[in-house]
Amino acid sequence: MRATNVSFRYRRGDPWVLSGASLDLARGAVAEITGPNGTGKSTLLRLLAGLLRPVKGRIEERPAVIGYAPERFPSAQPFTVAAYLRHMAAVRRVVVPEELTARLGMDHLLGQMLPDLSKGSAHKVGLAQALAGEPGLLILDEPFAGLDATARAELSVIVAEIAARGGIVVASDHQGDLRAVPGVTRYEVRDGKITEAAPVFEDDPLTTLTIKLPRSKADVLAARLRAEGHEVS
Amino acid sequence: MIPLVSFRLSGYVRSHRIFQPVLGLLAVLSILYATGVPAGGELPSYSDSAGILMLVFAWAARGLLDTEPDEQRLIAITAVGRRRELVAGLLAALLLTAALALVAVLFPLFAGFAETPGAADLGYGAGLHVLAVLAGTTLGALTSRPVLASPAASAAVLVGGYLAILLLSSASPWASVPVLDWMNAAHHHELPDRLVVIVASALAWSAAGLAGYAAVRQVRG
Repeated sequence: MRATNVSFRYRRGDPWVLSGASLDLARGAVAEITGPNGTGKSTLLRLLAGLLRPVKGRIEERPAVIGYAPERFPSAQPFTVAAYLRHMAAVRRVVVPEELTARLGMDHLLGQMLPDLSKGSAHKVGLAQALAGEPGLLILDEPFAGLDATARAELSVIVAEIAARGGIVVASDHQGDLRAVPGVTRYEVRDGKITEAAPVFEDDPLTTLTIKLPRSKADVLAARLRAEGHEVS
Repeated sequence: MIPLVSFRLSGYVRSHRIFQPVLGLLAVLSILYATGVPAGGELPSYSDSAGILMLVFAWAARGLLDTEPDEQRLIAITAVGRRRELVAGLLAALLLTAALALVAVLFPLFAGFAETPGAADLGYGAGLHVLAVLAGTTLGALTSRPVLASPAASAAVLVGGYLAILLLSSASPWASVPVLDWMNAAHHHELPDRLVVIVASALAWSAAGLAGYAAVRQVRG
């Protein structure tokens, strides 16, 4: 998928949000979009998702199946979580895997009405509908905001799995949780341009951690830790 | 596309917004048929019902299209594509307004008409309601949130647009959706003779309005 010389502004006469911005994303790429508030990260995500059209330039080779989780999930809808996910799965002609809601820690929410959910719980619903159906392009706007630690770790694993399958993942992330995903590339949106940011090397010495757990759970934990970028032997 | 139509209708009904046009429909039908309609007056009554209810249909279509939050519309666009999302919304609105129109056509058969109208008058009456459904849904779409973001402006344009249609249609059947023209023709037993012009004008205005709605959505999402 390629964005070439993309320029965008919301109305004629408005300042350009993006001006001659380019981005090249290969299959399996995980892109972390960073930048100060109001520099156009969400606009870029909507352009990549096909929700906005570039005023100039073009976006090509967008995968057919797109998952999109907005920054604020629209919870003012008269459905239970289960009914909403069922409807959205039917709209996408897919089935929401039961394990997906379990992995995001939202099984206990399925019977609740969407307007009754907390911000973090509503955010999980937005993520679940986007993740269902094995998207070829996954667009996540601040996906980790409001999530509990378990869900944040699990989401990193899911993103790594989608990338390993060849899907493209693009996410804005203020908190840096996406950096747990191996192979993530950071891009910064600033002054209307997209530039590849230097990788973050944290000055943090390595240590060895020994974990005792049931043998049956060892493989699952090892896979999860490897997906988060840790060395496991 | 059918699951998205079902989702939109389900959300609208569950939000209880459907009570607004249903109450409007029942109020109009009660006023029209409270004193009964003598034999021979069925088609003029149907023409009045279709003309007046066009405003209720527009209100219902606008309410349905505006029930979905903007972010949910974006999610739906990524799920099915821009064109299908637009068509699914319009289909859901048409199904809703058609159901309201069906009630309007059947209601006087049980409470209102002194005698059951003949097949021809029933057909003409139903046909006029179909024209009102198309025109009303179009007016509702053109005043929905993606086109007019301000609720106050939207309501004012919806009611003002309906009044403008009534005023313009008194000048010529081609000047707008020919509401007054079909009422006039039905009251003077001239509907069969003027039907082609009335149908052509109503379809042309509805098609133009829907094309305008699609063009605005193309730009604004």
